[in-house]
Amino acid sequence: MARALNALAALCLLVSGNAFSAQTDTHEYQLKNGLRLIVREDHRAPTVVHMVWYRAGSMDEVNGKTGVAHVLEHMMFKGTKKVKSGEFSRMVAAVGGRENAFTARDFTGYFQQIEKSKLEEVMRLEADRMANVQFSDEEFGRELQVVMEERRLRTEDNPTSLMRELLMATAFISSPYRHPIIGWMSDLQNMKPADARQWYRDWYAPNNAVVVVAGDVNPLAVKALVEKYYGPIQAKKLPERKPQVEPEQKGEKRAVLKAPAESPQIMMAWKVPKLDPNKMDEVDPYALLVLSAVLSGHDNSRLNRELVRNQRLANSAGASYELTSRGPELFEIGATAAKGQTVQNLEKGILQTLQDIANQGVTEAELKRIKAQLLASQIYKRDSIFAQAMEIGSSEMAGVSWRDLDRMIERIQLIQSNQIQQAIKTYFINDGLTIVTLDPQPRSMLAKPRGMSGSLRH
Amino acid sequence: MHRIHIFCKGLVSSIAMLLAAQAYAVLPIQEISLSNGTKAYLIQTNALPMIDIEISIDAGSRYDPKNQSGLAALTAAMLTRGISWQGSTLNEAQQADAIAELGASISASASGERTIVRARSLSKPELFNPLLQLLVASVSKPIFDQSILMREKQRVSSAIQEGDTKPEVVLQKRFRQIVFGNYPLARSPSIESIAAIQEGDLKRFHQDFYRQDRVIVNLVGNIDHAGAKQIAEQIIGALPAKGPTIPVLPPFERSPIEPESQRVIRIPFQTQQTHIAMGMTAIPRDNPDYFPLLVGNYVLGGGGFVSRLVGEVRDKRGFAYSVFSYFQPGRDTGTFEAGLQTRNDQADQALKVLQETVARFIEDGPSEAELAAAKANLINGYPLRLDSNRKLLDNLSAITWNQLPLNTLDIWTQHVAAVKKDDVRNAFKRHLDMRRMISVLVGSAP
Repeated sequence: MARALNALAALCLLVSGNAFSAQTDTHEYQLKNGLRLIVREDHRAPTVVHMVWYRAGSMDEVNGKTGVAHVLEHMMFKGTKKVKSGEFSRMVAAVGGRENAFTARDFTGYFQQIEKSKLEEVMRLEADRMANVQFSDEEFGRELQVVMEERRLRTEDNPTSLMRELLMATAFISSPYRHPIIGWMSDLQNMKPADARQWYRDWYAPNNAVVVVAGDVNPLAVKALVEKYYGPIQAKKLPERKPQVEPEQKGEKRAVLKAPAESPQIMMAWKVPKLDPNKMDEVDPYALLVLSAVLSGHDNSRLNRELVRNQRLANSAGASYELTSRGPELFEIGATAAKGQTVQNLEKGILQTLQDIANQGVTEAELKRIKAQLLASQIYKRDSIFAQAMEIGSSEMAGVSWRDLDRMIERIQLIQSNQIQQAIKTYFINDGLTIVTLDPQPRSMLAKPRGMSGSLRH
Repeated sequence: MHRIHIFCKGLVSSIAMLLAAQAYAVLPIQEISLSNGTKAYLIQTNALPMIDIEISIDAGSRYDPKNQSGLAALTAAMLTRGISWQGSTLNEAQQADAIAELGASISASASGERTIVRARSLSKPELFNPLLQLLVASVSKPIFDQSILMREKQRVSSAIQEGDTKPEVVLQKRFRQIVFGNYPLARSPSIESIAAIQEGDLKRFHQDFYRQDRVIVNLVGNIDHAGAKQIAEQIIGALPAKGPTIPVLPPFERSPIEPESQRVIRIPFQTQQTHIAMGMTAIPRDNPDYFPLLVGNYVLGGGGFVSRLVGEVRDKRGFAYSVFSYFQPGRDTGTFEAGLQTRNDQADQALKVLQETVARFIEDGPSEAELAAAKANLINGYPLRLDSNRKLLDNLSAITWNQLPLNTLDIWTQHVAAVKKDDVRNAFKRHLDMRRMISVLVGSAP
């Protein structure tokens, strides 16, 4: 116990010792066309990551066109008025860059990691495709096949992904969060080139984007480059975003998925609040975040200790909660059954674990460990400029400024046991609960292996 | 605590990294002589107040007894499931809590060639010193509690059964079985092999393999030579100096020439996609053809979105989301693998494209333009391989395990620059051969 106190004291000193300050290392600018630029200086190595984030993700899609945000992300590599199809990636590769792109419910992002002298080259290319993308119908058709293969790989043949898809579609009835990011297969099959082009015209604009640059750079030099390449792009009037507010859930929901697997699984999700960017001091979101760490922050957190180790109900168990997002938030707990256990037993075990915390609270030792890990993680995350840029970008997309990230860390440290107990009593109620279970089916073998008669070479 | 669900343009970065684990020396590798005559290695960087330690143990799953596949992995897993501690014990819960309250982490796992234990801690002595003691005890004094072992065996057995329902797991299991042939890495853990492992087996394996002459300590971070020496001495000093002679493993033999009818293996499986892996044995890391193969594979199937395989399979035909090739060179073994996943009804067409693309590359090698593009990417992008403590440790680990020269990082780009078109073509011809290449398909192709 004495060691715990010392350790925490040492961590507090280290983190507050001003060795690192996001406030002084980070710089924000805005161009006349509305584009925002955030630069995080980090001079530990001669490398840079350049990202552009568009505030348009699958939650901005409309009925029958699910998946279009992600399809367009793929099409962004298919050329512009000046750059031929495939040339974008070839030019990034030539300067030694690593690149990719990602689509989420809240946003779409593109990035390149490069040696620092190559920043201008990749920025020129990225700015060009903010305004000038063009692709043929034929090329669209082929890439759509690729996206359908992606869906087969990551969802259709993956029971855990299918469960998540069912969970979201069951928990939400009005919010566009109910649709999968990659889109429903039928919507993909019926997607037209014009759908993707319209999406691009609607949302790809400097006034809907944030550029994040992190690494060994001079912020003013970056600003000059951004003005040169992104500056001339015209702002657009963005489509109206309908709120599509999820109505209050009035009763528990359940769904069962049958899919090939060995062990039964359960996912439980409660409707909970997220952090409102205008009310940064509200307690509940921070209490929920600490609760998620109490449940599954390290090997001896409650879910692993109780369900996996002590009671042998589960082979694995975990909890998750996101503090910030554009859409409605869920607190999720999932578990995979141990041999001979049922999802009913898992459900009881999970509810009992929550009930114990609601009744008895969490110990001071648990809170200290969570705070120690939180503070240490503030140093460890500095090991990756990519992770730093991701944190800034995703927070900004959710409407939370990078300036508030330190304040959030401080708020989390103030959370006490009674606030966690209160949050459980308020939000972990059956009427706001959705449960999806996996009923495992045998993966039927269709025939005996052919070729080599199934035998091995020896 | 983070859960952003994301779909990406491609699954490329991890695969491109497999072959490419080397880099340059802004920061030198320091060799540290220890009192028992062995060495430890350090890359000192004071950019962040943290230290990473890796203990690399010549105790990979290739040393699993024939009927006890999974022994090395279970032994590694038990290092964080309870330890002897200052005349008493810390049970698994106390051990986990003690590590967590320091804001640190300790992990252990076994791969084919070696077992790796890693710790990450802040360097402040009040935090680091107790963490080091926990790390030393984790490696040297696990208690192998019988009831916890029972539980872990159950979990592993369930995971094996779960894996047997997943096409990618079934594919890799069979692929390894074929490519490794008579070498022990052909085997995978089974329900029976896990059941056969007892407490005494773990204790014996730990006693026999976790010892001074089979261990390398690698350090990266905010610590100097003298400090690193002290750390390494403590770790090494807690282990036995030597042990019994370990029986020599069977040789790692080249994939034989197979009759044409035996080169494709189909495992019927009820899925929407057929998963395909094609490959054979290749080179260990110290082979002089390492760099020509590295550069060549960038062109063939390693280079992000610009490789020949991506062009032929994905861009031209829309057959697959992920298509790749890589060499996986170890200290004593090495394999080549190319693969993709595609809709069942086009699996045979996709396999044909995969085979033809690889065969043509082995025959003709890269064009001058492709070679130049590959070298430009590898050389220009070199700093990206070294820009974090984590990446520095990965490089240090590969260099010391594979017994490469300590200036490997300094001369890496020179080696890449020196590769010529014929070097690539000759190296591919020397090491790969379509007659020796086996393709495994898992899926319900008609």
